[in-house]
Amino acid sequence: MLVIRRRAGDSILIGEQIEVQVIEIAAGRVKLGISAPPEVLILRKEIRLAEQQNRAAAEGVSSGLVRSLLSRLRQVKPSESTEDSKNPPALR
Amino acid sequence: MEFLSEHFGLLRYQPEQVIVFAEGLPAFEQEREFLLVEPEATAPVIFLQSLRSPALAFITLPVRRIVPDYRLTMEPEDLAALGLPEAEPAGAAGDLLCLAIVTIAADRPPTANLLAPVVINMKNRRARQLIQSGSGYSHQHPLPLSHEEAPCW
Repeated sequence: MLVIRRRAGDSILIGEQIEVQVIEIAAGRVKLGISAPPEVLILRKEIRLAEQQNRAAAEGVSSGLVRSLLSRLRQVKPSESTEDSKNPPALR
Repeated sequence: MEFLSEHFGLLRYQPEQVIVFAEGLPAFEQEREFLLVEPEATAPVIFLQSLRSPALAFITLPVRRIVPDYRLTMEPEDLAALGLPEAEPAGAAGDLLCLAIVTIAADRPPTANLLAPVVINMKNRRARQLIQSGSGYSHQHPLPLSHEEAPCW
């Protein structure tokens, strides 16, 4: 990873068309201004992490591993879990 | 009303039980309406069942079941999305259900996403997945469940 020290007001250029400027530095936070062509997607990384994690979570449910997780949580035999229950599940 | 879900079979529900994510969830922006399904046998797990995709259900746990002193931070846009007053949001704390989405996979121990909890205002059923930037919480917090059988001696 390239590491560069910059002060408030300084900029860096990425390629020919992207400029990142340090606008303000405050306690534990930095305010950045980004100029880039409209086709360049700019995202806080946490959003991408949330997307990836949501996709992975949705896959886990369809893979049938739910029951083993639940049996660990409940310390019950898998045969006692959801699918064998005669009553419809409660909704909150 | 009725919905045929893949994991829970036929779900009967009242319109006022529907949870609405006005913006969907990250990577699932088209999924706006869900039910909270709580099978007795699997408590304390709460499933977020999509009302659009029968096969889509997220496994969740209340965040404080995972981290008892979990602290939620809400930005003004979060308060607006949940229909909470900006002046006295703390007064509504009792109406909020805060859930962590759990990821399970065959080759890894289960994890909970504490970085992006799902917060539901049970008063008006509005919900949002909040991103807790700078909180230090992990999007892959290991669940305190043993992946292996622990030896007993």
